[in-house]
Amino acid sequence: MSTTRKLNHVWRVFATGLVFALFGLGALFISLTVFPVMRLVSWNRDTARRRIQRGMQVTMWLFMETMRVLGILTYRVEGLERLRVPGKLVVANHPTLIDVVMLVSLMPAVDCIVKRGLWRNPFLRWPVSWAGYLPNSEGEELIDACASTLRQGHSLLVFPEGTRTVPGQPLRMQRGAAHIALAADAELLPVTITCEPPTLFKGNPWWRVPSRRFHLQVNVGLPVPAASFRREGEAASRAARRLTEWMLVHFDAGRLAAPVEPRMTESAHAGRPELMDSGTPLRG
Amino acid sequence: MPVTIKSREEILAYLRQILGELFELKPEQIVPEANLYTDLDIDSIDAVDLILKLKELTGRKIQPQTFKNVRTVGDVIDAVEALLANPA
Repeated sequence: MSTTRKLNHVWRVFATGLVFALFGLGALFISLTVFPVMRLVSWNRDTARRRIQRGMQVTMWLFMETMRVLGILTYRVEGLERLRVPGKLVVANHPTLIDVVMLVSLMPAVDCIVKRGLWRNPFLRWPVSWAGYLPNSEGEELIDACASTLRQGHSLLVFPEGTRTVPGQPLRMQRGAAHIALAADAELLPVTITCEPPTLFKGNPWWRVPSRRFHLQVNVGLPVPAASFRREGEAASRAARRLTEWMLVHFDAGRLAAPVEPRMTESAHAGRPELMDSGTPLRG
Repeated sequence: MPVTIKSREEILAYLRQILGELFELKPEQIVPEANLYTDLDIDSIDAVDLILKLKELTGRKIQPQTFKNVRTVGDVIDAVEALLANPA
């Protein structure tokens, strides 16, 4: 390893740790200040929910931009406009810890499923409920809650794998997302995320940074109506299996396709300024 | 007892039929030792559909706790047998 590369590596370990600490403290700070104020100045729950979801987007966007400016990552989004259409069940594969940060930063309004333990956290329970986020309850209860928010015209983000992908292993998906889509008769919006070189995957600690700055590629697919998986006179459980199978094939194909990535040559590893522009700028 | 108790074989045959209809499982996969979750890939939502079907068969209300400890096809047969043997 050359000295520049070694320095760059040390820098990225430091910067990643810094961003993680900032993320924890920042989330707590915003939850205790900005979000309560947004709730107080909002006439009703719907207004508060809209403002706080927008606040979540701006917060996540700030984190993405911080990581980009610090030289931790680059990112690019294809088909962003499709993420802005409300009422979709956004389904994404889940290669990294920051997929949710990435996707929420792109959507002005989206419901998320979060750990139900947060509802016992004295600080975070309020922002998550004001945002209209859904606790990850069991089976039917969760499916019903998700279908109901979709029917009200909100978009919902779900990772059908239920957890991060294990690298080097075939994708595995639970059928919850398919059950939700069919229950709500919603349109699915498949989002394929690739991370190159792989990092922040399941079982990889944050400080084990990749050999060079990583690139997140987000490809937003075309919407697919869940109803197209139904067949006359057949149990819904079969349609759920077919839909899940379709997602597996879709994400596997997307994952394996060559990621659209700025070609990084050896000399670019230290972070040349022209590479700093590869993040997609966000314009509301 | 007025209720005609279906034999275990009959219950198994019925399970083969409905598990095929609901979850596209092959009859040869439905054996008493097969684990519903690991071998047959049935999830909690599927289980709800299955319980609805079993309600039709037994004509009884099925309490969720009846199926709480059900793990295998054999357990389902036991549970159905017990339901049919004890008129509500």
